Amino acid sequence: MSVSVREALGAFKPAAIAVGIALAAYIAGWVAYEVFFPGTAPVQPIEFSHVIHAGDYQIDCQYCHIYAARSTTAGVPAVEKCMGCHKVIATDKPEIQKLTDYWNSRQAIPWIKVHDLADFVYFPHKRHVQAEVACQTCHGEVQTMARIERVAPLSMKWCVGCHEEREVENGRDCWTCHK
Amino acid sequence: MARKKNPGSKLSRREFLALVGTGTSVMAGAGFLTAKFSRRPVEQLIPYVVPPEDYIPGVAAYYNTVCNLCPAGCGITVRIREGRAKKIEGNPAHPVSQGGTCALGQSGLQVLYNPDRLQTPVTRRGERGTGDFHTVGWNSALTTVASHLDKLRLANRGAGVGLLTGDIRGHLDDLLIQFLGLMGSGRYLQYAFTNPTNLYSANAASFDTAQLPYYDIANSDFLLSFGADFLGMWVSPVSYSRAYGDFRQGRREGEDKGPRRQRGQLVQIEPRMSLTGANADIWVPAVPGTEGALALGIAHIIAGGAGRFAAALAEFDPPRVAEISGVEASTIERLARSFGDAKAPLAIGGGGAAAGTNGVPNLVAINLLNHLAGNIGREGGVVFNPKPAFGRTGMQRHGSYLDLLAFVEEIADVDDGVLIIAGTNPLYDFPGDERLVRALQRIPLVVGLSSFMDETMQYADIVLPVNSYLEGWGDDAPEPGVGMRVASISQPVVAPLYDTMDVGDVFIRLAQRMDRDMQRAMPWPDFHAYLRNAWRRMYDKRRDKLDYVDFDAFWTAVLEAGVWGETRRASQRNEFHAQVDYEPPVHAGNDVDYPWYFQPFVSQGFFDGRGANLPWQQELPDPMTSIVYGSWIELNPRTANELGVDEGDILEVSSPAGSLRAPVWITQGIRPDTVAMPIGQGHTSFGRYATGRGANPLSILSAQVDSRTGAFAWGATRVNLTPTGERIRFVKTGGWSRTLDRQILGPRSGETQEGGDHG
Amino acid sequence: MSLIKDLFTNWSVWRRPGYFESFDYSWGMVIDLDRCTGCEACVVACTAENNLPIVGEKRFSENREIKWIRIERYWSGEYPNAKLSFIPMLCQHCDQAPCEIACPVSATYHNQDGLNTQIYNRCIGTRTCAVYCPYEVRFFNWFSYTWDAPLEQQLNPDVTVREKGVMEKCTFCIQRIREAKDHAKDDGRRRLREGDIQPACAQACPTKAIVFGDRNDPDSQVAQMASDARGYTVLKELNTSPSIVYLRRVDQEHV
Repeated sequence: MSVSVREALGAFKPAAIAVGIALAAYIAGWVAYEVFFPGTAPVQPIEFSHVIHAGDYQIDCQYCHIYAARSTTAGVPAVEKCMGCHKVIATDKPEIQKLTDYWNSRQAIPWIKVHDLADFVYFPHKRHVQAEVACQTCHGEVQTMARIERVAPLSMKWCVGCHEEREVENGRDCWTCHK
Repeated sequence: MARKKNPGSKLSRREFLALVGTGTSVMAGAGFLTAKFSRRPVEQLIPYVVPPEDYIPGVAAYYNTVCNLCPAGCGITVRIREGRAKKIEGNPAHPVSQGGTCALGQSGLQVLYNPDRLQTPVTRRGERGTGDFHTVGWNSALTTVASHLDKLRLANRGAGVGLLTGDIRGHLDDLLIQFLGLMGSGRYLQYAFTNPTNLYSANAASFDTAQLPYYDIANSDFLLSFGADFLGMWVSPVSYSRAYGDFRQGRREGEDKGPRRQRGQLVQIEPRMSLTGANADIWVPAVPGTEGALALGIAHIIAGGAGRFAAALAEFDPPRVAEISGVEASTIERLARSFGDAKAPLAIGGGGAAAGTNGVPNLVAINLLNHLAGNIGREGGVVFNPKPAFGRTGMQRHGSYLDLLAFVEEIADVDDGVLIIAGTNPLYDFPGDERLVRALQRIPLVVGLSSFMDETMQYADIVLPVNSYLEGWGDDAPEPGVGMRVASISQPVVAPLYDTMDVGDVFIRLAQRMDRDMQRAMPWPDFHAYLRNAWRRMYDKRRDKLDYVDFDAFWTAVLEAGVWGETRRASQRNEFHAQVDYEPPVHAGNDVDYPWYFQPFVSQGFFDGRGANLPWQQELPDPMTSIVYGSWIELNPRTANELGVDEGDILEVSSPAGSLRAPVWITQGIRPDTVAMPIGQGHTSFGRYATGRGANPLSILSAQVDSRTGAFAWGATRVNLTPTGERIRFVKTGGWSRTLDRQILGPRSGETQEGGDHG
Repeated sequence: MSLIKDLFTNWSVWRRPGYFESFDYSWGMVIDLDRCTGCEACVVACTAENNLPIVGEKRFSENREIKWIRIERYWSGEYPNAKLSFIPMLCQHCDQAPCEIACPVSATYHNQDGLNTQIYNRCIGTRTCAVYCPYEVRFFNWFSYTWDAPLEQQLNPDVTVREKGVMEKCTFCIQRIREAKDHAKDDGRRRLREGDIQPACAQACPTKAIVFGDRNDPDSQVAQMASDARGYTVLKELNTSPSIVYLRRVDQEHV
């Protein structure tokens, strides 16, 4: 008895098409979520605007992010730091009053992390700041962002790409960045 | 291609499209939701409300302080990240630790972060010893104690108040004396199982100096150690380990370009091979308790029938000593020759040699060897320390076993007696007799100061949680020290985790709640202020000699360096005051019913038992056996054969005082007439990691004491062994215990490795 | 095809002992067995520094303990002439490491500093490397271990806490090497100096039996000590070219 392979396969055709459509739909759904809800610019507990601080008033990044040049972490300013100015400046604005409330109750502001690296990544801000990599290289044009937004993918490919381009010493060794 | 209608299909076109549509949207929804839930959860970025002043987040800070896990007083450096302690290192500037640590010292972090720490004051609810406590506030706990003490004091009955502590040195000791003095009581005793009481006494008798000398092992070239496990946990293990390294190299570390002396040789005399015995060039297994005879036998040969001790030594000829000690006469002669010929011979005694009923005479005999070698005050010999910069010596502070029993019983006999116990756990490392427990039961008020609910705290009425040593203030003048005056300040390296206080603060707060005289006499706001005051007095006394602008500069400098010292050495003449004679050891139990000598030993991981609640120490393989998480009893293969038991068989070990069960470990490193067990396990109440694990060999010891000092003779009990027929499999690291001729330990001496080139 | 050709060329070059001499450092260790007393301070120090888990009694009895450095003990002779010798055993950071050939996903490789390293993210847990390792110093995480609160507050933030399914081993405290390099760069130095780095085991060692340093620097203490007449490498017959040279304990039985 002879069997036609073609015919035998043909029997699966409707099933294959159905699976194909289902898969395409699944991927489309996934992509739709990533496109419409990228989560790269979450709503923060206080509508802090880098446009005003870094853009309009041109306050240096490291005036607030004080550890950037000497530690792994850049440092989110302490509430006390904010109050240093806002005890007197713009105290009538609703967002500043939120800040004052946090300060008065001695509570930290629960900012939502926008630039989040995995825990196994060793990323020293100081190395990059000392190498004169502009903050904007990774954080985007922060001074134009009313709400902070992640622009760079912060993927390993993206990190290594820059290391290669700049010919960073041992920049491709796994243990330079992994811990 | 034209679509053919499937004849078998029952779907209409409409239904088919609906199905496709639903399917597609369900799948799309699934994709959407998978994307949503597979995304990493949102993390928050919590800033400080007020930025920390003393550290930068992400950058480690280092603080110097003092380890108090054993009485050696090593200076340590603690690495702090974001206010949490991460790692303990030796402080390189501290002359005791010189940058090194021991295994137990490394585990100090698990004392600090131990999950079983006492977090609030508690008072007893149920019967004593049942562990039934309930939480109270500091205020009520302190007020209860203070009002009780106040009442006694005002009624002139304060003499019934006693204070029992472990190893408390430095100015805290002074504060406690003062507090008790104000109460009208002189009842203050320190008790630690490992305190070398007999060594103090022997040194007082021999050299008229009741202190621990600094044995200059590094500069010695022949070291005769009688039972002193100085590489294990004896007296000051880190300091002596460092010295041992240099002793073997024939020069100090860092002097790599200098000339080498001869490599130091180590002979260890002990019935059970300790870690030091394993490192010795020759291990001499002598009968337990006969070390004194051996020392006199060696002295006999060195003195050669001449000199002041000729008469006393006359009868200790090699054949007689061989008969007593079980060491061959030829070995004794060989050791004596080597000791006599060495440029810088040194003899030290401790461990089992000091833990018999004849501990003091044994140690005096060993001291005689140092006297004959002209070792006193000499480089590579026995260097006595100058009077400490502050505080009392261990001899003055500590009581013996008999002292402790009398102390507690006396307080029990007083009406309204009060016993305050801080930093010691005598119910664990006391022999199995019930006298101490009975006395404790009779005391109306027992107050405990501790970080853990240990065996002794179970009998307290009120337990006040104290800071761990990494959270509080203190100071220390280490003993034995290094032949010079050394002092260090212990500073908090992290903020207290819980609602706890320094021991000193507890007493200052108590005084503040008592009547006006008490308040006036102890006016300091806290112990830190008291400590600064005390150091200010020290500074004022030496102001001219010290090169600091003012006291604050001095204080800061000591805190930063972690140590302060003076280079002046004590002068000690080589005079020997004692009579030497050999006193045979007395063992509890006759040799028919109890055929084996029983030698408990201080274990590397747990010291006197205080390390047993640290998981790192529980999981640290014992250096000699690689066993973890349990107890064992060491047997010579001949003994095991005799009993017909194998590794892991459980034995019933019975002494005149009690019995316990322990699995057999067969080792070549023990005499056939001796069995040995590690101290440290067998806790009945010491947190989740220690409680109910293994057996405590001290619990079956008879209450034997040293004939001169009344110190607990924990090496003077005999036991009988009975196989139970049960067995366990040891939890230990795997691997072979023999090299099987592979060159793991290197090519045999004289050969070079095949191929020759290395490195 | 050039990719495969490249791979083969690099393979042979990178596996030649001493290839890293053209790089800045070649970290190595000398362990003097005449100083080592077997006290195990190094073992706890390593546990504390590298976030090694407490596996518990049951799992320890199943030989699932994780100890990047351990003390091996070898008995010889019989009572009363019994002798016990200790040797600290840790990853030898072999120049010709058998584990590196074994890994199907290249999760273990030699880096430019002469370190045999393990990439946890890449490891898929075949455990082949552990089988190939003659020193038995690779450890597999059979479980994700936890710490009883608040013990986790001690964990070193510079070292990953490994999860179930990955292999791990001694890194020569690479986090300390990285930190030291960071500090050197902060100070404007390109090279590290002798003594800038001490792994946890070497730092804790009370007898200073463990010496760590750069074998590429002929003046370094490791380079000098490695040429000692007592020097040898363990299991030399396997041609693994270890980075750790042991100095044999001196036998001195004639007292």
